Amino acid sequence: MTRRQLFGRTALGLGTAALANLLGPDLIAAQGGGQTGTHHAPKAQRVIYLFMSGGPSHHDLWDYKPKMRAMFGKDLPDHVRDGQRITGMTSGQKTLPVCPSKYAFAHYENNDRGVWVSELLPHTATVVKDLCIVHTTFTEAINHDPAITYIQTGSQIPGRPSLGAWLSYGLGSVNENLPGYIVMHARSRHAEQSLFARLWGTGFMPSDHQGMLLRSQGDPVLYLSNPAGVTGSDRRAQLDALAALNQEQHKRFADPEVLARIRQHEMAYRMQTSMPELMDLSKESDATFELYGEEAREPGTFAACCLNARRLAERGVRNIQIFHRGWDAHGNLPKEHESQCKDVDRASAALIKDLKQRGMLEDTLIVWGGEFGRTAYCQGGLSHQNYGRDHHPRCFTVWMAGGGVKAGITYGQTDDYGYNIADEHGNPMKPQPSKEHWTPGTMHIHDLNATILHLLGIDHKRLTYRYQGRDFRLTDIHGHVMHDLIA
Amino acid sequence: MKFKTRRSILLITLAVSGASGRLHATGVDFARQILPILSNKCFVCHGPDAKKKELLRLDSYRGATRDLGGYRAIDTDHPEKSEMLARIHDALDPMPPQTSQKKLSDHERELISRWIGEGGHYAKHWAFIPPRKHPMKMGIDAFVLAKLEEKQLTFAPEAGRATLARRAALVLTGLPPEPEQLSTFLADKRKDAYERLVDQLLSNPRLGEHQARYWLDAVRYGDTHGLHLDNRRGIYPYRDWVVRAFNDNLPLDEFITWQLAGDLIPGASLAQQVASGFVRMNPTTSEGGAIPEEFQAKNSFDRTENFGTVFLGMSLTCARCHTHKYDPIPQTEYYRLLAFFNNTEESALDGNSYTYGPVIKAPEDQSAWNRWCALESEMDELLSGAAVQVEERILTLTAHAKERTDWKTGEWRISKTVDADAPPPDNEKKQWDKAGGLPGIRKNHLPASDKAVWLSFEIDVPVDQVLWLVYSGGPGSEVTVDDTPVPSETEASPRQQTSRIELVLPKGSHRVRVKMVGPKKGTPIEAHLENPWQAMAGTKDWNLCSQRDRLLMLADPRGPLGHLLLHRQARTLAQRIARATSTFTTSLVARDRKEPRTTRILQRGEYNLPTGEPLKPGILTVLGQFPEDAPRNRLGLARWLTAREHPLVARVLVNQIWQRTFGEGLVRTPEDFGLQGQQPTHPELLDWLAVELHESAWDMKHMLRLMVTSKTFRQSSARRGDVDDPENRLLARGPSHRLDAEVLRDMGLWASGLLDPHMGGEGVKPYQPAGMWMAMAHPASNTKRYIRDHGQRLYRRSLYVYWKRTSPHPMMTLFDAPSREASCVKRSRTNTVLQSLGLLNETQRLEMARMLAERLMRAGSNDSERLNQLFMLLTCRTPSQRERAACTQLLQTLRTRYADAQGDALALLSSGDAKRDETLNPTEHAAWSQVAITVLASDAAIGLY
Repeated sequence: MTRRQLFGRTALGLGTAALANLLGPDLIAAQGGGQTGTHHAPKAQRVIYLFMSGGPSHHDLWDYKPKMRAMFGKDLPDHVRDGQRITGMTSGQKTLPVCPSKYAFAHYENNDRGVWVSELLPHTATVVKDLCIVHTTFTEAINHDPAITYIQTGSQIPGRPSLGAWLSYGLGSVNENLPGYIVMHARSRHAEQSLFARLWGTGFMPSDHQGMLLRSQGDPVLYLSNPAGVTGSDRRAQLDALAALNQEQHKRFADPEVLARIRQHEMAYRMQTSMPELMDLSKESDATFELYGEEAREPGTFAACCLNARRLAERGVRNIQIFHRGWDAHGNLPKEHESQCKDVDRASAALIKDLKQRGMLEDTLIVWGGEFGRTAYCQGGLSHQNYGRDHHPRCFTVWMAGGGVKAGITYGQTDDYGYNIADEHGNPMKPQPSKEHWTPGTMHIHDLNATILHLLGIDHKRLTYRYQGRDFRLTDIHGHVMHDLIA
Repeated sequence: MKFKTRRSILLITLAVSGASGRLHATGVDFARQILPILSNKCFVCHGPDAKKKELLRLDSYRGATRDLGGYRAIDTDHPEKSEMLARIHDALDPMPPQTSQKKLSDHERELISRWIGEGGHYAKHWAFIPPRKHPMKMGIDAFVLAKLEEKQLTFAPEAGRATLARRAALVLTGLPPEPEQLSTFLADKRKDAYERLVDQLLSNPRLGEHQARYWLDAVRYGDTHGLHLDNRRGIYPYRDWVVRAFNDNLPLDEFITWQLAGDLIPGASLAQQVASGFVRMNPTTSEGGAIPEEFQAKNSFDRTENFGTVFLGMSLTCARCHTHKYDPIPQTEYYRLLAFFNNTEESALDGNSYTYGPVIKAPEDQSAWNRWCALESEMDELLSGAAVQVEERILTLTAHAKERTDWKTGEWRISKTVDADAPPPDNEKKQWDKAGGLPGIRKNHLPASDKAVWLSFEIDVPVDQVLWLVYSGGPGSEVTVDDTPVPSETEASPRQQTSRIELVLPKGSHRVRVKMVGPKKGTPIEAHLENPWQAMAGTKDWNLCSQRDRLLMLADPRGPLGHLLLHRQARTLAQRIARATSTFTTSLVARDRKEPRTTRILQRGEYNLPTGEPLKPGILTVLGQFPEDAPRNRLGLARWLTAREHPLVARVLVNQIWQRTFGEGLVRTPEDFGLQGQQPTHPELLDWLAVELHESAWDMKHMLRLMVTSKTFRQSSARRGDVDDPENRLLARGPSHRLDAEVLRDMGLWASGLLDPHMGGEGVKPYQPAGMWMAMAHPASNTKRYIRDHGQRLYRRSLYVYWKRTSPHPMMTLFDAPSREASCVKRSRTNTVLQSLGLLNETQRLEMARMLAERLMRAGSNDSERLNQLFMLLTCRTPSQRERAACTQLLQTLRTRYADAQGDALALLSSGDAKRDETLNPTEHAAWSQVAITVLASDAAIGLY
């Protein structure tokens, strides 16, 4: 699609945010501030999404179910499962033994009814007064590839733009020297599930909305460094020559794309300076590393990614995603989750504290969660010390912080088995994603995405992109903004 | 919402009369102007998927003019009394309603009012009416000029000859013209010099490679399965077949038929079967826990919807869950269409296997295809020579065939991996396993060539038999019968993947053992006994047996044809074929199940909610009838598509060809010819071309030739001061755009002399930053490590770059290549910072720049000559004064700089594997390398203009 087509379409009601992106920051500035592009006044200026790929166990981290202890090893009552389909990995098991968490939970005060947090998350527990914890997130997909594609693109089948691409399309970048959408892959000892370029890809949208990978190996940005034997001043001379050649080409054909390219070359040159400055942590104080932990000095760790995220946020990047793999604990859950939590717990909390002390938490939305939860029953051998859990789509815990969400609340509840979303009396509910109805107390993944967009000033129903005759949305035909969660 | 009361508003009457007063000459075009509005804004309730029976329907004339109880939405007798007018102008109770997502614009309201004022006539959507040639106009230019003249314009002047040659070569072959070709053309003063050049380009085999690439985007070709583990998939012979089809100018109707149903064509050739890999192109998974029924549904959705995009230029996706809101596609018809694809034999989950069956063995690259095709014609010739003699002996043959199928084998067992030179493991049970999948193909692969796997089975033959054993393994493999080695007639080639050996078995029981040693790790394990008589015994009809089986029967020394003169020839030919096919590789193909799978509507597209009666395969009725005598399978589907009266296929295909040639299609939404798609910029031209495609017997090269030799194509692409048309919808100038990722790389390799001409073969792996795959891949994936190639494979054309769908090569995705997980019939063309970095810093570009510099330094004796050559190669002209000055200045700066920094010069010159010419002065070489990479990155090089 060309710029002109988009202009034309804007008149017919395309989200003005998308227009702002096309016009670029210059125009937004010219119109007096960074808000003109959005559908409504945003609560958040930026989002940092901490994606726990593989499906963290809500049972062992967030959703305290003491009554399951008495049921240890007994078959999960049929009425609890109620015909729920289960994956091919456990559908052959003779029994579905109830598997209570082995971890101790403690109750913490927040601004609501308080919250139970597992001993695996001691640091996160210290910031619960900033968290908006949702126990009732749900999805339909029961396997990784479809589920992660679903939560990130709104569809289980590949081909749609990712959440980040939608945000890039809607928000654009406010930093001339850095792209608007940056993705990091954090290291994990149990990186058992794959990631796919489609999770930060653009599907049928123009590919300049794809997430830029900030890498911990080699150049932080692909092809960023000048090659061996080429200095900054060599590159300058090269770019001057290139600009002269391109201006000559423009003189011949008057194609405005040629001028646009000259600007991109210049921006690339500036990025060559801004990126190393960004990645250079030497000026960070000791206090920073006390907060994030010493491993934040080591490129590629989750802690380093979180620190980078803060630095990117400070520099005007509005759309940052960190993928941390290894949460798919079918067996040996305790060993794996202990290690996973060690990776993310301190740094997630640090990011909140750090942004808060810099006055940035209020307009930075942080999201923490995976593509689904894990089962109440055990997969494989069950003992008091060791067990595994299969995928569970019906409920899982996601938290948000900052960026206009209510601080210190605990939202929604599940039944005594952490299996079904439940009403306040503990009776199972069967919420379905629906265009018309939203079940209070629940958050479908489309609702989560609608809410993320809303907080950033975008109406998920109005941010559309036309492809094959249809105005596509991130939330497809679904999604309800979770006003209950918004401050 | 119901139409409640009748209102008459002054405003409306005004709108109607006012409009009709102003625009008498050209009435409102329903199909072009009104239908898109209705379908976008009204059909969601009042369209094909209307939820309530009594609700007004606006998708047909009958519905719109129906009596609604004393009033009508469109009142044809008294247009001003039409309720529709009232409601669209009603501020208090408007249509679409206040709560609706979509509202009418003032312009749309005015159009609708005018249309109703003119009688509110309906017409079918243009794309659903078969195309007809315009009675008066002929040829591309006539249509384009007519439209230009409407605006008092005419064609832009013709582009310079050199520019035109570059444009034509890039459009047709994806490479600039060869220097000799260019100079011959520039010196050719004949009137048809350009047409001659075009003919040369059309017969250049590089054409097939370039044209194929667009098709591979559309069918979502990849070298991996795409989901979850994203493991390797054996299907590149399909890619090579597409290249061949374009080079051979296979008529496009056959091109379609072979892909949709090559396997169903009686006596299908190898190429036809390989082509049916199209059906298997959807991404697949074998994620632990995946439910087969769910993925059976998803795979079929994907195929059906890809079929819609590629051949019909329409999205069918909506109809998966409900009757389409905009286009007239009922949900039932979607599932009928799906039924054609829901019947293939492969399992729903891919088993993470390279040989995700059904598969066949196919030539491993283009030269193997060439050899194979030659052998096929020899076979043809020989068999037709034998026809009479066979006919005379047909009874004997049938009787013999029965006897020759009288044998059976016991259980096939397979050993653990052992050293290649070790004897077979003893008979102890734990050394041997059931060989699941054999005879046939196993999921497992052979180990590296210093290891072996043994296969063992017993065979009972009540009468003397000759059988052929075909098994995985190359040099070092061996076969024993009752512990006696069987000598091989053919010498093993080092690339050999499969061996074929004749077993002469006297009456009785025998133990056959096979040592399988692969040419490389990862060779699929397969083995079976080949017996051409099986087919004969089954069909009892010589002519229904495959060509190959017929040849083998003729070549069988024990058979009743063994004494024929042709027998000896057949035997030699069979041996040559065995040798040729021993290096063949796996390719996924389509094959239908014997027992059809039941297809039902799936509520909301949920696999576990089938509903209603089983559906027979069927087509979309808005697009015409299914041919009466056609089989209800994919072959019949192909016949429907390629029938002359099909309204869409030819239009969609010529639009694709036009888009490849002009950068944008005549329909700028090639993925959507439906009601919501863009109207063609030149509707009559599109139709003329579509009919021309039919009339030329589906001749793609003819269409390309028409396009590139048109005056329209030959115009200068410079923007015109007298034309305000940034998108070039009028076609008042020649095409211009940034070249695609593949062309950018190929052009650099070509200019530097590095381009490896080898055609076809397994995907190649050029340089790629370390760790890109590992950072994302599943630990169990067999594509988690990117092991880059060495030698010539680094320089193969980009069409052959290995396509891992979850992480394609970054230099491809940076420049807008799609992931190939979903169909892409139009790439975006973005302009980004990362592209700039890639152009100037990527390893292969640095390497091509320094090799290009070598070429310049060897060819030219001074700077000026070298610059001339550099520009001639990349832009087909010499540099302008300003360009020359810019390059010379850069050159001087870098010379001074590298003269004092030899280390830097050498570092720069060490990029990539290609050997540096050490006799060249490193300072000079480094300076020229940087000049070369700069010009390679300039718009004069990366653009088409």
